[in-house]
Amino acid sequence: MSVRGTRIPPHLQLPIAGVTPPPTEKEGQRLFPTGNFRFFRPVYKDKTPPCNNACPTGEQIQKYLDFVKHERYLDGYLTIMEDNPMPSVTGRVCYHPCETACNRAEHDEPIGIRSVERFLGDYGLNLPEEPVKDTLPPLNGTTIAIVGSGPAGLAAAYHLRRLGYGSVIFEALDKPGGMLRAGIPHWHLPEEILDAEIAKLLSLGGIEIRTGTRAGQDISWDELRDYPAAFLAVGQDVGRRLPVEGIQSRGVGGGLEFLREAGMGRPVKVGREVLVIGGGNTASDAARSAIRLGEGAATIVSLESEEELLIVAEDLEQAREEGVLFSPGTSLVRVVTQDEHVTGAVLCDARLARDDDGAVRPELIPGTEREVICDTILVAIGQVQQLDWLPDHLSDRSGIITADEHGRVEGNILVGGDVMRGPSMVVDALGDGKRAARDIDRLLTAQALTPEPEVTIMPYEGLNSAYFRHAPRIDAPLSPAAERRRSQKVEVTLAYSEEQAVAEADRCMSCGVCNGCDNCYIVCPDVSVLRDARENGHYSIRTTYCKGCLVCVQECPTGCLEKVPEMDFDAPEDVTRMETAFAPYDGAHAEQSAFTKQLIEDTIAEYDAARRQPVPQDSPPPNGRPPNGHAQNVKPQNLRNEDHDRERP
Amino acid sequence: MYHELTVWSRGIIMDKEARDVSSCIAAAARALGLYADNVSDYVDDPDRTNCLVRRYARFGDSPIVDRFVYENPRPDWVVLVEETIVKAVNFLRGTPDGTGVLVVNSAREPEYLLKFLPDSMKAKLAKFVVVDAVGLADQRGSSPWMFVRDLGELAYDRMSTEGAEERLAIGMGIAAPLIGALTAATGVLPLDGVAEQVADQDAMFRGVAHHRVIEFARPAPAPATHL
Repeated sequence: MSVRGTRIPPHLQLPIAGVTPPPTEKEGQRLFPTGNFRFFRPVYKDKTPPCNNACPTGEQIQKYLDFVKHERYLDGYLTIMEDNPMPSVTGRVCYHPCETACNRAEHDEPIGIRSVERFLGDYGLNLPEEPVKDTLPPLNGTTIAIVGSGPAGLAAAYHLRRLGYGSVIFEALDKPGGMLRAGIPHWHLPEEILDAEIAKLLSLGGIEIRTGTRAGQDISWDELRDYPAAFLAVGQDVGRRLPVEGIQSRGVGGGLEFLREAGMGRPVKVGREVLVIGGGNTASDAARSAIRLGEGAATIVSLESEEELLIVAEDLEQAREEGVLFSPGTSLVRVVTQDEHVTGAVLCDARLARDDDGAVRPELIPGTEREVICDTILVAIGQVQQLDWLPDHLSDRSGIITADEHGRVEGNILVGGDVMRGPSMVVDALGDGKRAARDIDRLLTAQALTPEPEVTIMPYEGLNSAYFRHAPRIDAPLSPAAERRRSQKVEVTLAYSEEQAVAEADRCMSCGVCNGCDNCYIVCPDVSVLRDARENGHYSIRTTYCKGCLVCVQECPTGCLEKVPEMDFDAPEDVTRMETAFAPYDGAHAEQSAFTKQLIEDTIAEYDAARRQPVPQDSPPPNGRPPNGHAQNVKPQNLRNEDHDRERP
Repeated sequence: MYHELTVWSRGIIMDKEARDVSSCIAAAARALGLYADNVSDYVDDPDRTNCLVRRYARFGDSPIVDRFVYENPRPDWVVLVEETIVKAVNFLRGTPDGTGVLVVNSAREPEYLLKFLPDSMKAKLAKFVVVDAVGLADQRGSSPWMFVRDLGELAYDRMSTEGAEERLAIGMGIAAPLIGALTAATGVLPLDGVAEQVADQDAMFRGVAHHRVIEFARPAPAPATHL
């Protein structure tokens, strides 16, 4: 591709024999704006990556993975902090719906997003000062009431502080954290990390946590309604009861209560032969904590068959490695006691069936009863909540607070987390807290609450997967199983090193979002992709020359370029009309051949003048021949046909 | 009576349609005893996909004197085979004011297409005709954007015969409804006379039946001077 035009030597610059001199490059560009070849125009339009869409708190995952790829950890950390105040927590405990949605799974293996988030969260905790602090507006003097210092309440307090509101969090237990401390074991989320995250939040100022304050007991519904707004995030920390004979004996307790006592650092007694009743993640956490604290064995007894178990796959595998035993498709019939202490249990094969209104009902298989020895039974068959401090019409029997689609209970009181949804993930609660803060601000500033905007999600088929080399997922390293069994304090999942985090983030395909890869810029055959900056986009199309070949659209790896019919662009600046269309009569082409143009125009003028002479009486027949073979009329001097036309006299 | 027809199209993928329109009109005129010229090649070499290509035909009731001027300097009938050409070029350059009949192959509304024409071009129009030729034509291939041909048939056009020999019949595909709409809107040539030259007569009569015309009220123009 030449940048400079050809230099015409002076003696060739005049037209010779009617030949027009070739245009210089500058002139040529003016002559032929080939943009009029186009009937589809490439348009840069970012779509939503499936990971961002799947995250209940709306983390901009593609954006922080891109930052980590380029080793910009501070920017990555700040990106997470726009939507999630505790990445070191979610980076350890989240069940990662983002990884489940990741398009990379269809290419090779999904990205280890949670471990990259943990890397960034720990990076943030290790900074000397919390960088978000400098971005906060001053407090506006309004204090919002929050009930519950679990993830929903903490997130609401954080996002309210970012909007300038102060908050007071009423926490029933004597340490903050909610389920993060009193439900998730230390080997999953170390206490010092949780304490550091909470301290980080408190250091932002304007957030007060009052422990030992229980709703309904130490603060009433009416007092809550006195606040300008309130957010109810009490969770569901009451275990469901199992109505079998002997369930009141000593040594039999709730799985949730067991985890709470262990989590709050209180001494817990657990035997060496533990049965955990239940097929979900609480049962799994309880069993794994029991083998660490009791130094014995634990068996998970569940109505669910092995395929139906609700325990997430990675926890299930870790539990098996640690030696947890499983008895799926089994029901607890009754507890065997001696001196009112549990010594065994009668189990029976069973199937999981459901009532018409969805309640679980075990179907026992007769003749399969058997007795097993155990010294502890932990029941983890579901969660409910005590809501008698609320007016009756605001809650249902199962401990759920009723709300509309915005999470609004009544007035300026919103609800979020498990007590609104039923048992869910930490990240669901974080999202509810974030949205509640936004909606409380809207309510207090008399704005309308609006539904979430529609998004277009980029599927795998929209990418150009040929540009992504195959690379396996880097699994987060685990402590050896034997190590893990020894203590509650040995963290099961370990962190990525910096190299691993960068390498894993590098596998991100940036689905639907421009990441400045320059592919379009390189492949355009018309040099019609203009680049303002290399950072994430800032490309534009030079519409005077883009011919709509759509190679850029095909070769865009992320699918952020799409084709739009040219006829859809009807603004005046979108119409590039080419005047010349390579004709010698007028236009810029003819400016170079003034002589030729003048010659042609003189000829036409003369010809037209000659033909306008009046036609005589006996006009010649259509073929031009006069009747008697020779001219009777004055025929025009025809410069063009003079020498060539034999038919006319 | 003298009319100049210029058909604008895009190279490789649609230029057969343009040749067919000009060939059928010129052949029909000649068969009716008029003097007709068809310049269905020369000037614009369709060497690139999508490049603008023009085909010319002209006919009248007196002999055409300058048969070696290929281009029509004052086209009063202009056919656009692809709708984006409306934004692309000044195809009415040379058209005397108030005499132009513009036929566009488009599925869009004529009012929307007229937005793209500046006032100077609108002043030249007597009639604006929009026909959805892609919709009315017989779909003969997999994709309507290939103008209903496959790549194998496309190769027949590239025989370097420069129109001296058409390997496929003239007047198939998109060209047929365009010819129908043009003939009906202008009302100069008789429909059955033109239909004899067209291979796909059903599609041509569909074009006659389904097209939209916007008339521009103007004082009667002076008759065209013969070239």
